[in-house]
Amino acid sequence: MKLKKYLALTRAGIIEALQFRLGSFVIVVGNLLYLIVVYFLWKAIYASAGTDVVNGMTFSDTLIYLALATALFNFMEMYAVWEIGRAIQSGKIVLDLLKPMKYRTYLFWSYSGSFVTNFFMTFLPTFIVVAAVTHGAVHLGLNLLWFVVSVVMAIIINYSIDFIVGTVCLYTESIWGINIMKQVIVLLLSGATIPLAFFPEGFRRAVECLPFQSIYNAPLSILLDAHPEPKKLTMTLGIQLLWCVVMTVISKLFWKVSLRRITVNGG
Amino acid sequence: MKRKGLGFYLRIYGKILAQDIKSKMSYRADFIISTIGMIFTNISGFISFWILFRSFPGINGWGYYEMLFLYGFSLVALTPVQCLFDNNWSLRMNVYSGDFIKYCFRPINLFFYYQSEVFDIKGLGQLAFGLGTLIYSWTKIGLGFTPLILLKMIVFLITASLVMVAMQNAAAATCFWIQNSFYILDLVTRFKDYAKYPITIFSPVFRFIFTFLMPIAFIAYYPSLVVLRPDSVPLLSWLSPLIAVGFFWLSYKFWMHGAMKYNGTGS
Repeated sequence: MKLKKYLALTRAGIIEALQFRLGSFVIVVGNLLYLIVVYFLWKAIYASAGTDVVNGMTFSDTLIYLALATALFNFMEMYAVWEIGRAIQSGKIVLDLLKPMKYRTYLFWSYSGSFVTNFFMTFLPTFIVVAAVTHGAVHLGLNLLWFVVSVVMAIIINYSIDFIVGTVCLYTESIWGINIMKQVIVLLLSGATIPLAFFPEGFRRAVECLPFQSIYNAPLSILLDAHPEPKKLTMTLGIQLLWCVVMTVISKLFWKVSLRRITVNGG
Repeated sequence: MKRKGLGFYLRIYGKILAQDIKSKMSYRADFIISTIGMIFTNISGFISFWILFRSFPGINGWGYYEMLFLYGFSLVALTPVQCLFDNNWSLRMNVYSGDFIKYCFRPINLFFYYQSEVFDIKGLGQLAFGLGTLIYSWTKIGLGFTPLILLKMIVFLITASLVMVAMQNAAAATCFWIQNSFYILDLVTRFKDYAKYPITIFSPVFRFIFTFLMPIAFIAYYPSLVVLRPDSVPLLSWLSPLIAVGFFWLSYKFWMHGAMKYNGTGS
């Protein structure tokens, strides 16, 4: 019974997303171009490096990693900061707060529809193309299951970070600047633009202590590792779970505290 | 009606600019945060660049400092589109809501009036960052400094800017025909990130595409060859100022064509 109201939001999200098919098409084209650029750039880099393996990653490893990182990005990006920020600026947030559902939950589930559509329209095609182009460099086995588990946790961490940053908008009333800062930090420090393996040693260690690497680096390294050591796998998933809990709690508390000082201009 | 001269337009621009800056300054926190966000973007771009190329002697015959030069060149060349043509981002909303009709009733050039309304000061941070990178790589390569080279530099920076402006204009103008044009504008904006790589890394087919169909090679590669490799400048580099003016003119016509057939929303 409880799940039903959430799934209604999911359904509405799917229908809404299907209204904007052109958007999905342009995203696919954009990704394709990005992948072409990434392909040639890294090919040139590997050609100049003179070895097949750089920092423990082969060319096809790097390509799969970066292609799927983009696909994951499109899949997970929820523009929640924009949504919260706009709701605050326009005063719409008052109506959302009156709904018989927690705002944090409501926002998440109203996005869940686009998870479904993005999965089928951007992630799956990219995955199939990448698996085909690299001639089975993606191992299809138990790692897929762990990958899915890992992605679910990545979504939760990513959403919590978005929500925390969105809450900051209650104080600053600035959206663009806050959002761009978040995006830049997350994309760089999560290993979405460059695999963490390429980072200088000290820098990488520092980044590994932050929650961001659990968003892109963790699921992708699980997917690429055909025969993971049980210890390493448990470590990665465990760290993700830890960040999941920590970030969720922080975002909930922060929202609760911040809500007291909300000011709405008209609306 | 008498044609209005350049002096008239400059005077008008100054007046509109002053108003815009005044209104921006009334949201000081937003302004400061946005500026910091912009600086973050540039720093993160630089860090990615550094991580990528620190362990490689160069790619495709391009040394580290030459790559850095391209990077700085593209940053400086992208400043005008950021500072002067930022209102293109709001075009979609203005057209959708019907507010755009107010621009159609002014007795000055529609395109000029629309673009002059917003001046994005935070682009100046990027300019400073780009200039710093450019000067640093310039001295490291040991290019020397003569008035002629400075003149070349300015001409070709303007060239590069015009290409980017043209691409953005055309992308923004699509909103006169299709509703959800944000994705197209976003896609074109993402192109500019690829402009900083030498076009020679691509295969001939994509070299053609990125030169003639999506002219990102004109944002940094072709123009900077004139300064960077003065002994072997391809014909396309010398032609690039003409091509840029052509592109800009076409995009202007396209934009105006869309604006002229705009009917408003009736509100």
